[in-house]
Amino acid sequence: MPNRLELTGITKQFPGVLANDHVSFAVKPGEIHALLGENGAGKSTLVKMIYGIMQPDAGEIRWNGEPVVVANPKAARKLGIGMVFQHFSLFEALTVLENIALGMDAKIPSRELESRIREVMETYGLALDPHRTVATLSVGERQRIEIVRALLLNPQLLIMDEPTSVLTPQEVEQLFTVLRKLAAEGCSILYISHKLHEIKALCDTATILRGGKLVDTCDPKEETSRSMAEKMIGTGLKDIVKAEGRAFGQPKLVVNRLSTGKTGHFDVPVDNVSFTVRAGEILGVAGVAGNGQNALLDALSGELIGDDREAITIDGHGIGLMNTTERRRQGLCAVPEERNGHAAVGDFTLSDNSVLTARDRLGMVMMGLINSGAAKTYTGKVIADFAVKALGPASTAGSLSGGNLQKYIMGREILQKPSVLVVSQPTWGVDAGAAAAIHQALVDLAAAGSAIVVISQDLDELRALCDTLAVINMGRLSAARPVKDFSVEEIGLLMGGVHGSMETA
Amino acid sequence: MMRYRLEKRPEPSKLMLYGTPVAAVVLTMILGCLLFSAIGYNGLRAVQEIFLTPLTNPYKWQDLGIKAAPLIIIGTGLSVAYRANVWNIGAEGQYIIGALAATGVALMTWGMSGWWILPLMAIAGMAAGMAYASVPAFLKTRLNVNEILTSLMLTYASVQLIYYLIRGPWKDPMGIGFPQSRLFSEAARLPNIIPGTIVHLGVPIAVIVALIAWFVMSKTVFGYRMRVVGAAPHAARYGGFSETKTIWLAMLVSGGLAGLAGMLEVAGPFQRMVPGFPTNYGFTAIIVAFLGRLNPLGVIVAGVVLAITFVGGQVAQTTIGLPDEATGIFQAMMLFLLLAGDILVRYRIRRVSPEASVGAA
Repeated sequence: MPNRLELTGITKQFPGVLANDHVSFAVKPGEIHALLGENGAGKSTLVKMIYGIMQPDAGEIRWNGEPVVVANPKAARKLGIGMVFQHFSLFEALTVLENIALGMDAKIPSRELESRIREVMETYGLALDPHRTVATLSVGERQRIEIVRALLLNPQLLIMDEPTSVLTPQEVEQLFTVLRKLAAEGCSILYISHKLHEIKALCDTATILRGGKLVDTCDPKEETSRSMAEKMIGTGLKDIVKAEGRAFGQPKLVVNRLSTGKTGHFDVPVDNVSFTVRAGEILGVAGVAGNGQNALLDALSGELIGDDREAITIDGHGIGLMNTTERRRQGLCAVPEERNGHAAVGDFTLSDNSVLTARDRLGMVMMGLINSGAAKTYTGKVIADFAVKALGPASTAGSLSGGNLQKYIMGREILQKPSVLVVSQPTWGVDAGAAAAIHQALVDLAAAGSAIVVISQDLDELRALCDTLAVINMGRLSAARPVKDFSVEEIGLLMGGVHGSMETA
Repeated sequence: MMRYRLEKRPEPSKLMLYGTPVAAVVLTMILGCLLFSAIGYNGLRAVQEIFLTPLTNPYKWQDLGIKAAPLIIIGTGLSVAYRANVWNIGAEGQYIIGALAATGVALMTWGMSGWWILPLMAIAGMAAGMAYASVPAFLKTRLNVNEILTSLMLTYASVQLIYYLIRGPWKDPMGIGFPQSRLFSEAARLPNIIPGTIVHLGVPIAVIVALIAWFVMSKTVFGYRMRVVGAAPHAARYGGFSETKTIWLAMLVSGGLAGLAGMLEVAGPFQRMVPGFPTNYGFTAIIVAFLGRLNPLGVIVAGVVLAITFVGGQVAQTTIGLPDEATGIFQAMMLFLLLAGDILVRYRIRRVSPEASVGAA
C-alpha cells in the first residue's frame, strides 16, 4: 500500500529566511503522525504547502503514490485533505449549522446537511447541537464545529494545528478518542504540537523540525519527553532551578472582592475575586481561555479602574483607584497576553517601547523631556540579558518574531525589579529554550522577594513554575492552594466549572 | 499572464515614506498636464505657470511666504492631532473664530496704541480657536460623537458668524454700507519685517511654531503620548495614557494653532474683517499635514509646495486664462495620489511568477 502522503525535498524560501530546507517524510494510511518543533521551526509553512495555501519552491508532494500539485485549499479538500486551524473561522452570531454550511465547497440543502452533521457527530461521539449560536459555545465546542466541518468531507488526511492549546484536560481526552477512532478507520492524521506528553500519548511517529530542517523521525513511545525536547531545541534542556522549602514573606499583593463591569459583548468580567500573594510567592491562575483572564489582568494592571480603593492593596496600600502609571510607581508591573499592539507598539523601536512602561520607574523622563540615551541603554541591557534576537535598540518591535518580542517584553518588566509582577501567558508561542529562560527569570525575581501572578492556559507551565494555584472559570476564582495538592483531574474539573467544596463565598 | 501581488514589508520603507510625497507632486504635474491638455488648454504651460513661475520669479517669493505661513501653522497643529488619530477636519472654523476674536480685541482697542495689543490679539485668537475645538472634543469624549462631522459642521456656523458681525455690531461706520469691519489701528496690524515687501511677522512665526512642534513631538512625553495613541491605542492605555486626555490635548493644540493663524492673517494681510476672509486655508492645511508626513519639518516644505500652487494658480489665471478652480484640482490630485501611494510604505509590489500558480489537475 502506498504512503498516504509523501514529501520529498520540500524547500520554501522567504525573504531572509529559509523556512523549509529539503524536508522529506511520509505519512502512512491510518497513522497519527506528529509534526514537532519550536516556533519558527517551519511546521506551519510545511503544513500550508500540504494544504495548498502556499506553493513549495522545490520538492515533490506525493498523494497515495501519485505526484500532485496542490494549487489551493479547495484542491486540497478535493484530494481528501482536511485541516483544523488553531484559530477558528466562525461567525459568532450564526448557528453551528449555518457556519458549517458557509464553509462547504458544494451547496447542500440544509436539511440534508443537518442529517449528515448529526451522523458524523454520532459516529465520533461529538456532542453538539447544530442549532446553537456559536457565541454561546465554549472553545472546545467551537473546535468540534471545525472538526465536523473537516470530517464531512470524508478526509483521508486530517491536519490538526495545535489543537489542544485551548482545551481542558478532559476535552483533550475526548479529542484524542475521536482522533484514535478516525485513525483506526484508516484516516491519517498530521498532528502539530509542541506538547510532548500529548504526542507520547497519541502519536505513532514523530517528525521533528528545527530551523527549517528535519532533525529526526522517531517513535515517540520509545523517546522521553526530555529527549524529544532536546532534539527540538538542539541543546540540553535546563530545568527550573528553584530553592526547595522556601519560606514566603508578608502578604504583598492582596485582592479583596474585586469585580469588573462588563466591557464588551462577549467579554467575561471578573466576579468577586479574592486572593493573596506573599513576598517570594508565585501564584498561578489556570483556566480555559475566555474565562475572565483578560479582565483580571486589566483590573490588576490598572487599565480597568474599579471603584473600591481597598479592592487591591500592595503592602497594605490601597491602589484600587490608581491608573497604570501610578500603580507602576507603587511597584506593580504587568504584561498582557497580546504582545503586538498591547504590550508593545509594533511600529516603534524597542527603545521607544521601553519608554512605554519603564519611563517613570527608571528615570527616563526629566521635566517632560524623554532621555532617549537612558532608554537606549536600558533596552540594550534587556536585549543582552534576555538574549533577544534583534539588531539593536533601534529595531522596530514589529520586526521581531513573536518569541523574541515576548522575551524583550518580559525582560523589560522583570529588569525593572517590580515588587509585584502580573503576567498573562508569559511563554505563549515562545520556544522551549526561551520559555525556560523566562521561567528562570520569574523564579529569580520571586526569590528576590517579589510577589508574582502568572495567568496561563498551559497547565504544565503552571505546575512547574508556581507555588500556589487557583483556577478561574466564568470570571470567578477558586481558592488558591499549594500547587502540589492539586491533581490534574481536579484542575480540569475546576476549569470546567465544577467548584464543589472549594468554591469561594 | 503576468500577475502582481501586494506583499507586506517586514519594516515600513523609509525610502517610500519620504519618496511618495515627492512622487505625488511629480505625478500631479504629469497628470495635470494631460488633463488640461485634454480639455483644450496648453497643459504644459499650465503646469509650468503653476509649479515653476512662483519659484523662478523673485517677485512672487513674498507671496509664497505669506501664503505658506498660515498653511504651515495650521498644518503643524493638524499634524499633531492626526498623529494621535484625532481627526480635526474643522481647522477652517477654528481659524475663522480665532480671527474673529482677534478682530474683537482690535476693535475694542481701536485708536489706542501699545505693544501689548498684538500679543493680546494672539492670545484671544488662540483661546477662541481652542474653545471652538473643545466643542467636538467634548462631544467625542462624553458622547462618543464622531469629531470629523462635528468639527466640519462647526466651520459653516463660523462663516455665518462673520456675516452677522460685519453686517451688524462690527460694521464699519465709515464703510459707506460695505459689510466689513473698520480698518485696524496701527498697533493692531502686524509689522512688516522686510521693508518694501508685504512679508509680515507671521512668516517667521510660522517657521518657529513648526520647529517647536517638531521638538515637542520627537523629544517629549507629550509627543510620545500623541504618537503612541495614534499607533496603538491599546498599548497607550497599558502605558498609562488616557484616551480622553489625549483627544482633548490634540483638539486644543490643533484648534489653538488654527486660531493663531487666523489672528496673524487678519492682523497681517487683511487688517480688517471682510466677508471674503475665509479662504479655505484650514482645509488646504489638511493636505499640507499629510504631504508633510505628519512631521512638522515636512509640514514646512509641504506648506511651501501648496503655497506655490496658490500663487501659481493666480499666475495661470492671468497668463493663460486657466479657471480659478484649477488650483483646487491640482491640490486635490496631489492629496489623492499621496494617499494612494501610501500603501507602498508598508507593502511592496511583487510579481507572481505564473508557473507557481498552475492549478491542480
